[in-house]
Amino acid sequence: MSVHQPIPGARFVDPAVLARIGNLEMVAKTVVDGLINGTHRSPFFGASVDFAEHRGYVAGDDIRRVDWRVYARTDKYYIKEFEADSNSNFSVLLDVSKSMSFGEKISKLDYAKTLAACLTYLANQQRDRVGLVTFDEQIVDHVPPSAKHLDVVLHTLDRARAEKPGHLVAPIRRLAEHFGRRGIIVVISDFYAEPEEVFDAVGLLRFRGNDVVLFHVLDPQEVDFSFVEPSSFEDLESGDQIPVVPAALAEQYRSLVAAHIEALTTRASQQQIDYMLLNTSQPLDYALFRFLSMRERMARTR
Amino acid sequence: MSFLTPLFLLGLAALAIPVLVHLTQRERKSVIAFPSLMFLKKIPYESVQKRRIRDWLLLALRLAALALIVAAFARPFLRGSDVAAAPGGARDIVVLLDRSYSMGYGDSWSRAQQVAAESIASATPADRISVVLFADNADVARRATPDRSRAVAEINAASPGPGATKFGPALKLAGSLLAESLLPRKEVIVVSDFQRSGWQPDDTLRLPGGTVITTAVVEGATGPSLALTPATLLRTRDAGQPERVTVTAGVLNRTAADAAGVPVQLEMDGRIVQTLAVNVAGGASASVTFSPVSIAASTTRATVRLGTDTPAGVAVQTGVAPAASAIDALARDNVFNFVITPSAPVPVTVVTQGSRADANLYLSRALAIGEAPRFETSLQSVDALAGDAASRTRLLILNDVAVPEAAAARLVTFVEGGGGLLIALGPRATWPALREAWLPAVIGPPVDRTRGAAAKLSGMDYGHAVFEPFRAPRSGDFSTARFYSYRGLKAAKDATVLARFDTGEPALVEKAVGRGRVVLFASTIDLSWNDLALKPVFLPFVHQLGRHLSGFREQPAYLTIGEVLDITAAEIAAGATSTAAAGSETGRTVLAPSGQRRDLSVNSESMASAGALELVEQGFYEVRGAGREAGPVIVAAANVSLAESNLDRMDPKELVAGVTGTGAAGSSGAQDVLPDEAQELAQRVWWYLLFAGILLLIAETVLAQRLSRATR
Repeated sequence: MSVHQPIPGARFVDPAVLARIGNLEMVAKTVVDGLINGTHRSPFFGASVDFAEHRGYVAGDDIRRVDWRVYARTDKYYIKEFEADSNSNFSVLLDVSKSMSFGEKISKLDYAKTLAACLTYLANQQRDRVGLVTFDEQIVDHVPPSAKHLDVVLHTLDRARAEKPGHLVAPIRRLAEHFGRRGIIVVISDFYAEPEEVFDAVGLLRFRGNDVVLFHVLDPQEVDFSFVEPSSFEDLESGDQIPVVPAALAEQYRSLVAAHIEALTTRASQQQIDYMLLNTSQPLDYALFRFLSMRERMARTR
Repeated sequence: MSFLTPLFLLGLAALAIPVLVHLTQRERKSVIAFPSLMFLKKIPYESVQKRRIRDWLLLALRLAALALIVAAFARPFLRGSDVAAAPGGARDIVVLLDRSYSMGYGDSWSRAQQVAAESIASATPADRISVVLFADNADVARRATPDRSRAVAEINAASPGPGATKFGPALKLAGSLLAESLLPRKEVIVVSDFQRSGWQPDDTLRLPGGTVITTAVVEGATGPSLALTPATLLRTRDAGQPERVTVTAGVLNRTAADAAGVPVQLEMDGRIVQTLAVNVAGGASASVTFSPVSIAASTTRATVRLGTDTPAGVAVQTGVAPAASAIDALARDNVFNFVITPSAPVPVTVVTQGSRADANLYLSRALAIGEAPRFETSLQSVDALAGDAASRTRLLILNDVAVPEAAAARLVTFVEGGGGLLIALGPRATWPALREAWLPAVIGPPVDRTRGAAAKLSGMDYGHAVFEPFRAPRSGDFSTARFYSYRGLKAAKDATVLARFDTGEPALVEKAVGRGRVVLFASTIDLSWNDLALKPVFLPFVHQLGRHLSGFREQPAYLTIGEVLDITAAEIAAGATSTAAAGSETGRTVLAPSGQRRDLSVNSESMASAGALELVEQGFYEVRGAGREAGPVIVAAANVSLAESNLDRMDPKELVAGVTGTGAAGSSGAQDVLPDEAQELAQRVWWYLLFAGILLLIAETVLAQRLSRATR
């Protein structure tokens, strides 16, 4: 598809090699450290508050910040101290449906998990509150955004398995109600759904004021359809099989996939949603660099 | 077209298998897991390549191969008339060639060979031919050979023997040969002169179903047919003169024409003694009696011969029929052999005690009477038994004798060596207590029946050789004899009670010891305790006891081929003592009429170990014992069966009906339609179908490999 160019300051990291490392924190650090050395600027700007500690009330303090629950228990006034409220919530919505398990060298899920870890690590470095939601046809795991949840997120990512059929719309509809506070929501999926359905779901997030980023993760074989032998193709999620002679329909398949990507790109642009197509054969830092560059450009234009 | 196992045709359903393989195999070679078929399902169905058959040739080959194999398993065959048009399959032919001596009548044998060879001329290489030569017995000369020339060679190599025709054994052998046959057609060809005497209907004689019997009657040239009947010997003995024998021969005319002036000559030891002429009316017989001749001490080989073709004084093979005879065309029945043996007496020793020689008067007189056998009685005191007197006798009789230990030991040795011992018990009779178990019974104290009714003999074992002559009514009454005293006997377990008194006590007890026998008589053989010696049964009773205990069997002057010569009995009859007879059994040599010499050792044959010899050749057999203690030379005359000389023929249909149960004779007795199995087996269509199927499968494999390489 695309031929990536050597990026100045960014190290080439093979995602397949990274996947074999296993420790997501280390992986994320490995990727992001190299990345930050090349970018200098972070595109994330937080504007939220988070509880830090209690301290005794002193005269002059705003009585709205008195924690009345603690007063009820202790009969003393305590003031709730909050962290700097300049950072925002950063949540990753990771598709762990069965289709994400596909991949020749590295599965899409592993790639997505590494990507999610890298982004979370990046956000955490920015002092943003990080959270994670994994979903298939329903919500599997939910880590609320917090400045201290990096380890929890990474641990949850590590445990994530692609085991059940997925459905994009229903879980995202439920999550949209949950994300009451504006933040940055990253959706990582293979988006095997019609573009209308995808944007009906993610539109809800967008309409609530969230900054939504879509990462479309695909395996090279899903894009190129480089199969040769006539075979029966089995849907990983439904189990349906159809006999396929690749030579006869590869061209049509590729055009359909291209049309699907094009539709997603167009609709995302229309709804001011960032959309990024990622091929699992590409190095992660390269993908991240492309994405961050794009965010930076768009931030300037917005 | 029919099928033997049509159910296998259900296997044609397997033809669907290659079609399904063609339709499914290439597309379902592997299953690829794919994240989503969302896009693939959007592609119109036409673009997904339809399952269609591309390798039509491959499919056709697979279908044809399967169809052929299934058809082969269903065992197809052509039924009925198709078979008749076809050769009908391989045959198993058994040629039964009669080699009895009647086949030597004129040129019958050469014509029989010709007929037998012609009968298998139509045999194909697929056929199997067995050649069976039969007379009294049947022998397989060649078994199931596909080579017709070998069968013909066997037929040509055979010659008629001295045996008589017997169809039974030959047909049984043919039946067993055909029962093992797997070929569809079975045929028996009987080549014979079909003498009536050779056929005895036998319900158990059946050939396998579907067997075709073809009969080929070989008729000899017509002409005179004379035969010699067994000669009779009349022995006369004048005091001080050697024994003289008068030979009377019978001549039988089998034809209707009268035969006048037929020369009949008597030969003795190869010399012509006398020649007479006899006239025999058609279909009748006549006898001719030669002048009495004196018998020398040794055995004389005598032959009565029709015709005078054998020059006087020339006897290359005494008693063997010449190759051709001027009298008639059948030579073998023109000769009759017999042996004139001076009647050898059986040596009997009567053991006496002290001055009681008169006590044996009745016994000695009874033994002195009679010719067959003639008992040569000698008296011996019990003390003399310790010497070697016992070795010169065959029978010892102890009449009321007290036996000392030394004599008892000698008696035991004598009996175990094959001698006979008769112990009559009186008031003085004793036996060493240490050797009591050796006797057939334990001797008890005397039983006095002088008061009241005397004891009588009853409960005789008429099945035993001693009493067998008295079995018929009015053949001798033992109950008239009165027994006033007797010794009580308690029979041993291994002894046989031959007679009992009316009280149930044993009167005569026998026991076999070693190679000899001991008989214990509970009373005396004189008038002291009973009056048996005064009764008419006394003489035959004593003779029977003597014959039985001495092992004597009357030897016939001639035997017929197929009969068995009891060599031991012949030696005893020739005067051999028990010691000599025992020594001879270690080894004997037989000289057959053909000049063939054969050793009969104990271990060589079962027949020989039993001291028996089967006679298979016409003429004189000579048996000599080996060793220093060899017995006398035994000469036995063997003659052909007179029944075989009767050339009256039977209808071959009778034989066919007797064997098949159909009554259809000759080749018309063939089963017109063979059973399905036989037809199928004969045609073997399945084999060709299976072969073609396998060839197609090989072709399919080669083609499939090439196509596979091409697609890669």
